[in-house]
Amino acid sequence: MGRAGPLRGVWLGINRRTVGFLLLSPVRSPLSRRPPLLRSPLAFLSPPSTRSSAGLFPDRLRPLGAPQKPDTMLTFLALASVVLLGIVPEQTQAIVIYTGWERHALLGSDVRLSCSFFSWRWTSEDVTFSWTYRPDGSRDSISIFHYTGGMAYVDNKGPFRDRVEFVGNPGRRDGSILIKNLDYADNGTFTCDAKNPPDIVGRPSSVRLLVFEKVPIQAGVITGAIIGVVLGLLVLIVVIYYLMRFLVARRVFSLSVSKHGKKKKEGSQQRQGPAPPADPSKVKAASSEKKKQESRKDKK
Amino acid sequence: MWTLAGVVVLHVTSIVLLLLAAVQNAWWVTDTVSTDLWGRWEWKDSNWNYTSVINPEDLQAVQATSVLACVFAVLSLFVFVAQLFTLPKGQRFTFTGILQLIACLCVMIAASVYTAKPPPSSQEEGRYGHSYVLAWISFVLTFILAVTYLILRKKSE
Repeated sequence: MGRAGPLRGVWLGINRRTVGFLLLSPVRSPLSRRPPLLRSPLAFLSPPSTRSSAGLFPDRLRPLGAPQKPDTMLTFLALASVVLLGIVPEQTQAIVIYTGWERHALLGSDVRLSCSFFSWRWTSEDVTFSWTYRPDGSRDSISIFHYTGGMAYVDNKGPFRDRVEFVGNPGRRDGSILIKNLDYADNGTFTCDAKNPPDIVGRPSSVRLLVFEKVPIQAGVITGAIIGVVLGLLVLIVVIYYLMRFLVARRVFSLSVSKHGKKKKEGSQQRQGPAPPADPSKVKAASSEKKKQESRKDKK
Repeated sequence: MWTLAGVVVLHVTSIVLLLLAAVQNAWWVTDTVSTDLWGRWEWKDSNWNYTSVINPEDLQAVQATSVLACVFAVLSLFVFVAQLFTLPKGQRFTFTGILQLIACLCVMIAASVYTAKPPPSSQEEGRYGHSYVLAWISFVLTFILAVTYLILRKKSE
């Protein structure tokens, strides 16, 4: 159908910053016969994603939020992107390697040491991973794993012979290894070094392995649990208290309204005919109910 | 007016003492070591070194309850200020008093558990540090404040 004539609309100014333009355009919808639905202006400024288009917005009323000056926004975006692009080249040559900080494992179990990296370049085919191990209290480190040229080479002479397995995915920048059947002698620091040519400048990252007979509870788990439970209980109690007060007030209100309605009915009946003897007591009950409600409001 | 100022000053003092007790790592001190609840300071080669403290379950309970005591004390201060403006005349500050009582309970639990089950790092020769003493002092202070709030009535002029 297209636009027939100029766009007609209504300016809704709430404050100087957000101005909504209510677009009214002729649309062939069955609702077009009805007069436009005017809700409160604030309703139209809520983000359209939170409202379903079915009930609240007939087809021809659509909110259009436009900032005051699109030019300043665009220039700001352009400036920001230029600045960012200026900063970025200095960092493109650094590769960032992530491993864990500490790993706790049970004696005799397997542990997965994860290593991944972030690089501004695409993952090349010559990506290399190498893991070295330094025992606790020693200053020398030995190499236990190396991945290069698409092939993984594991330790076959040292303390980890036949216990290291490559479980990473170099294509996804993951160079994790699995160490099986742990012993107390495996306590130490494992260092992962990854290179992604031409991005080779980076610091290797280390993870400390601790082998326990019984894995102790991590520091802070019980602390956090206690704090969370108590605060949660407090919030729950407050919410329930206010809910009960609200419900009780509502029930009293509805009770007094029903008694009030009955009193009115009885009043009109009284005017028509002689009053039955039960009436004055009912009226008294309604008035006392009302008085009680008022006194409760006072106490609050 | 002076009661109000006095009560607020006392409340802020109790919060400060609670924070000092909970945050400072000085529940157990020796000549060269100051330790608990969160870390261990050792005096080595004319330098203070910070290492982590062994975390048995009892120490974590002490950590949790001391943090909760601080939280509840601060909450009760805010609720007190709110109730100053919203409470009708002649009413008691019950909500404030209840929160302060919970804070007092928490700090009592913290100090008691620490006394009953000292962590292994404090088995050496030493004495209880100033954080521990402050914990007990703030217990007394918060208790007095809680009772005060439960008795105090808003002035009805």
